[in-house]
Amino acid sequence: MSMFTQKMKMLTAVVMENDRDSVVRALLRKGVMEFVHIDALPADKMSRLSSHSSSVPRAALTDARVRIETLMREAGISLPDIESVDIDQLPPLDMEGYRRFLDRLSGSLQTIRAEQKELNEKLLSYSEIQRYAAEGKNEYLDLRTGTITHGSAKDLLSRLQLIDGIYLFDSEPYISLTFRRDSQRVSDLMDKFGWAESPDPETQKNALPEALGKAKDLSREIQQKLAELSEDAKSKILESRDKLIPMWTNVRVHELCEHVESCFSYTKNTTLFSGWVPAEYADDISRIIYEVTKGVSIVEWTDADSLPRDEVPVAMKSPKILRPFQRMVDNYNTPEYGSINPTPFTAVAYMLMFMLMFADVGQGLVLLLVGLIGSSVYRKHPEMKDGLLSRYLCTLLIYLGPASMVGGLLFGSLFGLQIPALWFPFDAVVEGEPVPGLINSVYDILAITIFFGIGVIYLGLFLNWINLFRKKRYIELVFDKNGIVGGVLYAAGIWFAYGFVRSGYRVFPSAPWFMPLVAFCLVLILVKEPLEFIIRKHRGQDAGTISHLILSTVMEFLVEVLEIFSGLLSNTLSFMRVAGLGIAHASLMMAFYQLAALPGNAIAFVIIALLGNVLVIVLEGMSAGIQSLRLNYYEFFTKYFTGHGIAFEPVGLRSRIVSD
Amino acid sequence: MSRVSDYAYINARLRARIGIMRSSDIIENMIKAPTLVEAVAKLDGTRHQHIADVYRSTGDLEAAELSLIEEQVASYREIVPFLPPESSFFMTVLLEKLEMENLKTAIRLWYSASIMHHSISDRAKYVCRTLIVHPIDYDRIMNASAFGEVETAVAGTPYKDILSAFTFESLSKSGLFPLEIALDHMWFSHLMEAIRKLPAADRHLAENIYNVDIDLKNILILVRYGYYYHLEGSMLSEVIIPAGYIGTEAARRGVLRSDDPITSLKDIVHRRYPAITEEIDNIRRTADDFTTMEENARQIMLIENYLAAWRLKAYQRLLLGKPFSIGVVLSYFFLERQEDSMIQAVLSAKSYSWSEGKIREALGL
Repeated sequence: MSMFTQKMKMLTAVVMENDRDSVVRALLRKGVMEFVHIDALPADKMSRLSSHSSSVPRAALTDARVRIETLMREAGISLPDIESVDIDQLPPLDMEGYRRFLDRLSGSLQTIRAEQKELNEKLLSYSEIQRYAAEGKNEYLDLRTGTITHGSAKDLLSRLQLIDGIYLFDSEPYISLTFRRDSQRVSDLMDKFGWAESPDPETQKNALPEALGKAKDLSREIQQKLAELSEDAKSKILESRDKLIPMWTNVRVHELCEHVESCFSYTKNTTLFSGWVPAEYADDISRIIYEVTKGVSIVEWTDADSLPRDEVPVAMKSPKILRPFQRMVDNYNTPEYGSINPTPFTAVAYMLMFMLMFADVGQGLVLLLVGLIGSSVYRKHPEMKDGLLSRYLCTLLIYLGPASMVGGLLFGSLFGLQIPALWFPFDAVVEGEPVPGLINSVYDILAITIFFGIGVIYLGLFLNWINLFRKKRYIELVFDKNGIVGGVLYAAGIWFAYGFVRSGYRVFPSAPWFMPLVAFCLVLILVKEPLEFIIRKHRGQDAGTISHLILSTVMEFLVEVLEIFSGLLSNTLSFMRVAGLGIAHASLMMAFYQLAALPGNAIAFVIIALLGNVLVIVLEGMSAGIQSLRLNYYEFFTKYFTGHGIAFEPVGLRSRIVSD
Repeated sequence: MSRVSDYAYINARLRARIGIMRSSDIIENMIKAPTLVEAVAKLDGTRHQHIADVYRSTGDLEAAELSLIEEQVASYREIVPFLPPESSFFMTVLLEKLEMENLKTAIRLWYSASIMHHSISDRAKYVCRTLIVHPIDYDRIMNASAFGEVETAVAGTPYKDILSAFTFESLSKSGLFPLEIALDHMWFSHLMEAIRKLPAADRHLAENIYNVDIDLKNILILVRYGYYYHLEGSMLSEVIIPAGYIGTEAARRGVLRSDDPITSLKDIVHRRYPAITEEIDNIRRTADDFTTMEENARQIMLIENYLAAWRLKAYQRLLLGKPFSIGVVLSYFFLERQEDSMIQAVLSAKSYSWSEGKIREALGL
């Protein structure tokens, strides 16, 4: 793991046109390079180059890939691991052949859907008939029982079947159950065959149940057939799996090659390309290009330090174990190139905050189990869509569960019940029970979190100083609100507030060094702008006018001072929420146990206690997670994380989506 | 309760959904899909997942579309309880529109079966029977042999009085047009009443939106029935909705009782919507020859597109306006309806194997 963002190098290479495809594929396999459009070169050089022209447009490749993916998803076929494929052995791209194949496959699915539709229409009719009968709306039905005097029953049946209804024509008397709205059409047909209604009342009486029984059987049969056809549609795609997967792989590789090559420029015989690579892979990339081109290539590296910092893409290398926290950082923003990698600090701060807010061995264990089970389910079913408990949340719970358990051991809490505490009994303190040791009231708990907050803020300031030092921004390092002067003022403020609290909120502390120190710091803040003005003048840069300097000095001073005094104070007090949530957690559990004891019944006790635990785990767990994130983003990151970077996006076989 | 507490929850909830809806590529992906099966697959993982599920299990596009209507009803029902009483009454009236259209479909089927003697069983299966606002016995309507039964099917609902004004004979003679217009008028009067009951800020927003909606309807009535189908002046006065800018202005000037109401109405429209003057002028008062009919249809489509764009802008303005108002709710349902009808249109087009270009042209994309 690197403490800072990864060192980057920019590659510029020239290879022979013949070697282009092999180089692209080799670089895709390595997957560590972010290609840069060569048109970023100066115009005089660009005029001698031509841009990439492709045989198959990339949009066509993307459309084909999306189409294959759609059909694969329809049958639950997962996308293959493209890295295990030898991309040099792929067959030629036959887009027309692929299109024909996909059209055929889609057409066969459409045929199945058409069959389903026909069946479904019948099913809807039978259902409507059954519903009318069940709801006693027999007046909407037209039941006929009888025989024909001429013609064939088979002919009549075949014509009647064009009208929705149930027909029992296996033996006489025949039964027809249709809708009354179709009775005219039914009568017209029956008249042609000389239909004679059965005079037997018993036959008439039994006809309806018999027809409804038939409707029920037919409905069941159709439902089964519909389900079978649904499966058939899937099977049709699954049968083509062996064609779809290589097809997808081929199209995907070509799509990636097209993306990469769209960044290239060409002379008559050579290809010129450029891109960013983490410095640690520079030698590998050089070797790959030389090997593939058998040495007939020019490879040139430019160190990122010689380029403007804001143009360099930022890659962070964090261990796999810290990946969930890396995502938190990514969600916030990309750090500036060359600055500290915030991930490990975020991981520690986040888990500590969560631990303090949600300290319980039992509930932590539940979180851990939920995380483990959820992750395992997602692993077993990779095609499964993220539910409310997403993949990410499950992974995060695997970390938060143990953090909560450690908190539970420190503060002696198991499902809200008191157990021996390694540090102090949190629940007992909240309940106001006499507790030996230093921590014996909620004020002490609040004080702990304030100290914790001061620690986090100072860590943020310290990281900022390192960043500024590395960036050689010495003026900011000394004079900025998040620089050394801000840190000193913050320390003075802490000393002042601590003294006031220690006196029982009666007397402000005094010391001979205090006021001169504060005044000196304020002067430093005031001189920041004029100092920058002088330096800019000295360097011959545009420094603005004197009047502008006066105005900006005053404004800047006022804003900075206000931010230092009110900002740092509110940042510190914000950490009281950690205590607040911890206290709320303990209080809620107490309340639930008191509620559970009220009925005086063991079963009721278990049920209420169980429900209380579930509610607290869900609500408090969520709340603690959100508040930890908030404290990281607003109280911690704002001290050192500028977020001015551009994320490094290497292109490789594993790249999920490539877009221009 | 304050307006913030009235609308805070629903505003946050609907804005999140609007965000998802606006960033979604469903329509574009569906249009690009080469076949119906693939177009339906694009609904996977979206709020329309159940349409894809229904289609996969039945292959029946109409059944899938029916589930879309049921989804719209469910969507209204889900939001209404979170609104203050006046707004929830207003939303119920909007839901009534959906019910009225469903009722019209059922009556059209009855008309087709009883008066035109056509078989309706194929279509009757796909009429939504879910309770929308009022208890209507749709089965009874579609199975009625006499018009009296249709009236009984809507007993206890506001539609009863409207239907009572018609008879089997009058409908046989004049068709369903007068009945449908009467239903429209009833709904618009309900709408106006509901708008009047809204708090001032919401009332202002709703009036701005629905006055334009009513104007659109009146313009289409004017060009379709006044010009195209030669509806007489006296009949036109019964058809024009007496609300919105056009309806109110026409009543104020008394143009519907004048000798040439069409010219006067045209004048009112020109003053308010000058951008469509040319299209309205291009509509010719004859529908006998095919070329004229085609040209008129094209002009009407241009007017509809213009008015649709006007409406879209009005709803977008609502989204940018005050967050704690009925505006966000109206915008949400407008966008939802727009997406739903686009999905319906694309699915239908795909089932007829229309090309991507033709679909885009038809949808005005």
